[in-house]
Amino acid sequence: MAAGWLFLFAVLYSAALLFGMVFFVIMFSDLESDYINPIDLCNKLNQFVLPEYAAHAFLALLFLLFGQWTAFAFNLPLIAFNVNKVMKKNHMYDATEIFRSLSGHQKETYFKLAFYLLSFFYYLYRMIVALVAENE
Amino acid sequence: MASPAQKLPVGWAAEDNQHQRYLFIETATGATQWDPPASQDGPNVQNTPPVAEPSVHHGKRRQYAAGQTQVYYGGGEAAPDLAYPAPGLQPQAVPGAQLFTPGLVGENQFATQQTHPPPGQSGYYNQAESEYINAPSFGQPPPPYGQAPVDALAGQFGQMGVGGQKQFHLYTTNLLTSPPEPRDLQRPPPEIRLPPNSCISPSPFANAHPSYQRCTLNAIPTTSSLLTKAKIPLALVITPYRSLKEGDEAVPVVTDTVIARCRRCRTYINPYVQFLEGGNRWRCCMCNMTNEVPQLFDWDQVRNQPGDRWSRAELNHSVVEFVAPTEYMVRPPQPAVYIFLIDVSNSAVQSGMVATATRTILENLDRIPDEDGRTKVAIICFDVSLYFFSLPVGSTDSNMLVVSDIDDVFLPKPTDLLVNLAESRASLETLLGRINDMFQENSIIGSALGPALQAGFKLMSPIGGKIVVLSSTLPSVGPGALKNREDPKILGTAKESGLLQAAVPFYKTFAIDCSRAQVSVDMFLFSAAYQDVATLACLPHYTSGQTYYYPAFNAGRTEDAIKFAHEFGEVLAMPIMLEAVMRVRASRGLRMSSFHGNFFVRSTDLLAMPAVPQDQSYAIEIQIEEQINTPFVVMQTAVLHTTCYGERRIRVITLALPTTTILSEVFASADQVAIATLLANKAVERSLTHKLEDSREYVFQKLVEILIAYKTSMTSGGAGASAQLAISENLKMLPVLVLGLLKNVGIRQSAQIPPDIRAYSQALLTSLPSQILIPYIYPTFYALHNMPPEAGTIGENGVILPPALPLTSERLERHGLFLIEDGQTIFLWVGRDAVPQLVQDVFDLPSYDVLRGGKTTLRPLSNPFSERVNAVIQKIREMRRGIYYPHLYIVKEDGEPPLRLWALSALIQDRADVLPSYQQFISSLKDKVITT
Ligand SMILES: [Zn+2]
Repeated sequence: MAAGWLFLFAVLYSAALLFGMVFFVIMFSDLESDYINPIDLCNKLNQFVLPEYAAHAFLALLFLLFGQWTAFAFNLPLIAFNVNKVMKKNHMYDATEIFRSLSGHQKETYFKLAFYLLSFFYYLYRMIVALVAENE
Repeated sequence: MASPAQKLPVGWAAEDNQHQRYLFIETATGATQWDPPASQDGPNVQNTPPVAEPSVHHGKRRQYAAGQTQVYYGGGEAAPDLAYPAPGLQPQAVPGAQLFTPGLVGENQFATQQTHPPPGQSGYYNQAESEYINAPSFGQPPPPYGQAPVDALAGQFGQMGVGGQKQFHLYTTNLLTSPPEPRDLQRPPPEIRLPPNSCISPSPFANAHPSYQRCTLNAIPTTSSLLTKAKIPLALVITPYRSLKEGDEAVPVVTDTVIARCRRCRTYINPYVQFLEGGNRWRCCMCNMTNEVPQLFDWDQVRNQPGDRWSRAELNHSVVEFVAPTEYMVRPPQPAVYIFLIDVSNSAVQSGMVATATRTILENLDRIPDEDGRTKVAIICFDVSLYFFSLPVGSTDSNMLVVSDIDDVFLPKPTDLLVNLAESRASLETLLGRINDMFQENSIIGSALGPALQAGFKLMSPIGGKIVVLSSTLPSVGPGALKNREDPKILGTAKESGLLQAAVPFYKTFAIDCSRAQVSVDMFLFSAAYQDVATLACLPHYTSGQTYYYPAFNAGRTEDAIKFAHEFGEVLAMPIMLEAVMRVRASRGLRMSSFHGNFFVRSTDLLAMPAVPQDQSYAIEIQIEEQINTPFVVMQTAVLHTTCYGERRIRVITLALPTTTILSEVFASADQVAIATLLANKAVERSLTHKLEDSREYVFQKLVEILIAYKTSMTSGGAGASAQLAISENLKMLPVLVLGLLKNVGIRQSAQIPPDIRAYSQALLTSLPSQILIPYIYPTFYALHNMPPEAGTIGENGVILPPALPLTSERLERHGLFLIEDGQTIFLWVGRDAVPQLVQDVFDLPSYDVLRGGKTTLRPLSNPFSERVNAVIQKIREMRRGIYYPHLYIVKEDGEPPLRLWALSALIQDRADVLPSYQQFISSLKDKVITT
């Protein structure tokens, strides 16, 4: 039973993260077309950087606690990536350098977007599998 | 270098000294010299090429023995001020010695050991050497590339060209056989050959002068694939606010506020538009949009009568300034505001910085721009507390207000802190005279620079302006406090680039606040110890200010005080552009892709500059986004700004360049100076985002790519290919400029460069305009003891400089007096066998032995030679734009090693430690190019 609920939660959770990334993508394209200035952009996005990392880490922690090893392992590389960025102190967006590093940021955001999309369907599949297994 | 021992004449020995060169010793007398000795009887040794003239003198010159004395004034008939000959040189050889260029033998050896110099090249070189003697002077540059030396030929080809447009012709040079020629750097870039009728004005000022705006390519490839084939980076180098020296053309001002701009792309009208329908409409040269000509365009508002459109400045001048109407203002023009933050901690007072700074401000109060009487000034001192000064109007007194709460800075008083310069002049003068005495006994160590900046910001943020920081210590308390992170162990390692990045985010975030409030910051740094220049320089970098660094400043040394007072005075007197934004527009197909320099990028193509100082350079990389179908393209820089006397203006600089579909034209039109300027910016950027190692590799690789591209597309290959390293004549100096850049303190491979010195050098590399940057990476080298008679005297264009020598110590002679300068420092190199008369004439000392090396002021003496040497030094200090006043160092050939090595490091064609000599560099380039 627990696994079904866990993955249901994970589905909703990853959908939220997915939308978060869509927001990032939109903001970056706004910057490119001058709808927003780099200072406001960075102030806005920087509020969400650490919460996003934390949210993702929390989900992974749940998988760990519930003993969902594959799901946990699936998330491990991204956690390592995020932790590495925080350790190097370059996780925040720097308004003075944003135009120089914009394409890098965009690539990273698209990658995360794809990752959350993949996780969404994976959790969905796992949820269905879990529910089916329960009913049998 | 193979041992030359077997080739030596009898009685000579070769000794390998630490310079990786051989020192030749005449065993009988103990005389030594750098040049390989010739045998006593014949003028030539086997190895010397048959260049008869110089080697005859050469044979004689080396005959002197150490210690042999000689009456300097010869037989009394040789003109005394002609040259300081080597002791032992026969008087009758003196006239010849003027024409004789020392080291020529060595150079010709270099040339002849290679094969097949291209026709025309060798003759050109000999000519150039002798031409020096009659060279007019600095400031009258030789003709641009593509005209000399085969102008007649070019003309013939030009006539064959279609439609009368002259084509670029490519002259290939072999880098292996043609050593760098310093004079080439004085040449203007390849000529811009626009198609006929592209410009509506016959004015010679219709296209931008390179000192304002130059492009790395003076013929733009029509497709990005063509550009990629050439491998040459496409970029603009812009110095929009160039200072004007005497005799320079002033920028014309359009005062009638009739500003014609394209409706679609907002381009300003310029000499490259087309008038249609009887002159009622004009077609934009960038987007082809047809626009209405404004109603008052042909009206002379001054005389109130119809005017002549064709005499309007914006249709005849590439660089023009428009007086802007109110639509271009967000608020009424701001007054100029200066806030001085003066460090008064113990070390600052003890070094004499406070006294010198306050005296300089006092002496320059009249020069601070204040034509409209609106300029405002404030002074805040700081150690670990802040000291404000209230200067009530009409009083000659001031009150000091101390704020010790530095975590939450507040202004102790709402008024009288920021005062009108003219109204409070009296109290300001009294205050400036007293500050040093007030803090004379200050024993507090430490600096609250961050809080002081915040206080200054609070005071001026409603208006904007310039904060001038004068600091002698590492910020230690409050926001923006820094730690000493200098660690000798990581110098020269991959981690070194960390020391060049900002240590804390404060100075970047604060810079953004400043940029928003139109506040610009200048940093004057003086510490003898680590001051974290890299972090502090962020603030000027993003607020369009500038960093000035006087390591171990000590006003007790007059030279230090003079240099700082001169430069600081110039900065104070400099007119500045306030609340400026800059944008570069270009023809369809071109896009400004990345920006280098001191500003904040506020949107994809808008650069925010709260205060633009004069003579600051910016580099902008350009992308070719789509195919260009026009015969020429236009790039226009517009700087909207408020002048420091309260007028809103737009400075517009228009550069038109032809397009090309031919690869050879791309190479033939390349501007090596602009390319080197761009590479300096790119190298510094890379050293921060990657590693110093990567940045050097990047620059080197870029050069290799260009050479490979040239080899594969422009030369036929075949049997002779391995014997040459080909490049077009106009890019001949690029390899040596790149070598100079790789050896520059900013990115040089070394474990001995303090991070502060590196960071400062990087700040210079990214902000100096080409005119000052090029000598900074490729210094100038003169021989003074045998300079031609007219050198050092006044010519048509001021003082005539001696001919510049290639940067190699082969040219140093033991009896000589040499000058090496890079625009920031001047070295006066005295050979150890300098005759006493020379030492007497220049330094007023009896002999070389009592001469002391180091920083010095050279007093003019009443003898012709001293006057000429001083005139040359004076000229060097004044001839370039910019505020820099180089220190003068006397370097004795056998003096203190650090100073000697420093001076020798300017001779970049020599091998030094791990850094290759020019020959080694060229052969490593050749290896890379051949193997691919
Ligand atoms: Zn247009």
